[in-house]
Amino acid sequence: MKKLYRFRRTGLIGSPFKILILNIIAWIIGILWITPFIGIFMTSIRPFREVVLYGWWSLSPFTFTLKNYIDALFNPMFSLGRGLLNSFIIAIPSTLIPITIAALTAYGFARFSLPIKKYLFATILFLMAVPQQMTIIPIFFLLKDLHLLNTYLGLILVHSSWGIPWITFFLRNYFSLLPAELEEAARVDGASDFQVFRIVVLPLAIPGLISAAVLQFAWVWNDFFFALMLIFDPNKMVVTQMLPRLKGQYQVDWGLLSSGSIIAMLAPLLIYGFFNKYYMRGFRGWAMKR
Amino acid sequence: MAKGVRIENIWKIFPPKVVALKNINVEIKPGEFFVILGPSGSGKTTLLRIIAGLEVPTRGRVSIGDKVVVDADKGMFIEPRDRNIGMVFQNWALYPHMSAYDNIAFPLKLKKLPKEEINKRVKEVAEALGIADLLNRKPGHMSGGQQQRVAVARALVKQPDVLLLDEPFSNLDARIRVTAREFVKEIQKKLGITTILVTHDQADAFAVGDRVMVLRNGEVQQMGIPEELYDQPVNVFIANFIGDPPMNIFKLPTTHELLKKIGVDDEIINKHKEVYIGIRPDEAIALEPKEEGHLKGTVIIIEYVGSRKYAKIDLGNGLSIRALLECRADNGDTVSIRLVKVHVFSETGERITTIRF
Repeated sequence: MKKLYRFRRTGLIGSPFKILILNIIAWIIGILWITPFIGIFMTSIRPFREVVLYGWWSLSPFTFTLKNYIDALFNPMFSLGRGLLNSFIIAIPSTLIPITIAALTAYGFARFSLPIKKYLFATILFLMAVPQQMTIIPIFFLLKDLHLLNTYLGLILVHSSWGIPWITFFLRNYFSLLPAELEEAARVDGASDFQVFRIVVLPLAIPGLISAAVLQFAWVWNDFFFALMLIFDPNKMVVTQMLPRLKGQYQVDWGLLSSGSIIAMLAPLLIYGFFNKYYMRGFRGWAMKR
Repeated sequence: MAKGVRIENIWKIFPPKVVALKNINVEIKPGEFFVILGPSGSGKTTLLRIIAGLEVPTRGRVSIGDKVVVDADKGMFIEPRDRNIGMVFQNWALYPHMSAYDNIAFPLKLKKLPKEEINKRVKEVAEALGIADLLNRKPGHMSGGQQQRVAVARALVKQPDVLLLDEPFSNLDARIRVTAREFVKEIQKKLGITTILVTHDQADAFAVGDRVMVLRNGEVQQMGIPEELYDQPVNVFIANFIGDPPMNIFKLPTTHELLKKIGVDDEIINKHKEVYIGIRPDEAIALEPKEEGHLKGTVIIIEYVGSRKYAKIDLGNGLSIRALLECRADNGDTVSIRLVKVHVFSETGERITTIRF
């Protein structure tokens, strides 16, 4: 396992010239990616007047202020804090539920034989291509009939079922890369199918599970569309719904809006940072054949 | 306690039509060390996996002791976990997230034995295999030989009826391999446990096996004690496959003068158009030219193999033979070759006779 990885690495790195080119490309992408973020950040920590007059990129004059953040968090009309709390209430179960269900489904697809397995899997992949907008009307009526409109549970269920297919797909590939011999050894050692899954497969798949969880959490956190359609009580609104309300009625208060965006961004960012090691391992494991 | 294994009419066909095993019948005695030997693709691992229950045969029956564990014709199948077998996989398949102790304890934990009992048995088996000081380590921090011992310990700790070993030595380097073989053989004899080992390496097979079965393309070629396979190969394949350095095999028309020199019966010569002649390098001795011998030739190459010397000798007519060199000779010298034993095979490869001198 280790050997293979090392081999791949030397293949990638090769000559100094190649390193230079790769570095240049990486830096260009990195700068393009981070510039808007820097813009928002600069806007959020300066008085609005300064940004409008000189642009966020000019450094003189530069006045540092946290006023935007304080205003955004403690806005008497639209509480961003409440929005953050609601987002956590939605995002945490909407991550754990689909991961649990999809892990079981994915293991089934990866290791067990079923007469129509191929077609079933193809159907899942096919239906993943259906856009949200196409499903929202039936989902809306379904939740209405279940009396789950405008409830946390309703949105959690929708996000969970939206997450299950892609996580299944992701984890199936991850599981099928795990060495089958370990599972066979466990079966010979006396484990039942479920014990094999719980004691041997799951611990080995932790990087994959974390990768999937981080992506799903970020997706649910960043979702605006489902929340917009299914939650209308201001007390239950998630942070992405609160943000546009910070815009103001007659003029756009960019300072307030950008500080709100930074606050909303913080949770997924921290999660990426915290699980970065596993997250990368999950994808590396994905990219290489073992 | 040790139980025998009976394999009856086992067929394995992988759809659409790869026939991995053709009608295998073996009776493995309790306490026997049985080796399944064959080149890659011969179906040997498939057979082991069928015994373990990791693969289901297309036809046939396997019993361990008196208990039938799989009967394809009756659609009966017992899960691997209920067969009470221990298995060591080719790459040892240790659980990488568990310490050596947890790896070995795993089968006992699944049986829900009490903690003290588990502890006692793990310590016992670790002691016996000389890995007691490794128990806290994870597999990633062990050498190949140590990992193998842990894998064997895990297989033995639940006191299985049968121990299955799938190429257990192939991931070890040459030096450790010899000690590993001895160690496995010793443990097996000490515990008296019925053991089935699969290998592609004849040295492994002969080092440990009480009895060896040779498979080729899913068919049993020959089964017997190692000496039998070496001395009385039933066909050209076995003759060629077994023995190191490999046997000299010549495909000759029966009119060839070599046949008269080594005294093949007229009956055989009249009956066949072509035959294979097989002579082991160790059973063809190259001597000084003045000594009496069956053949004469010129030395082309001399090879040193440990304490012995083998010479490749040109016999004329485009034939050359590898023989044990027991005289002083250099390249280009003439030697006389005394034969000890010659095997004669028919054109289809079956053995007709063995001539001893």
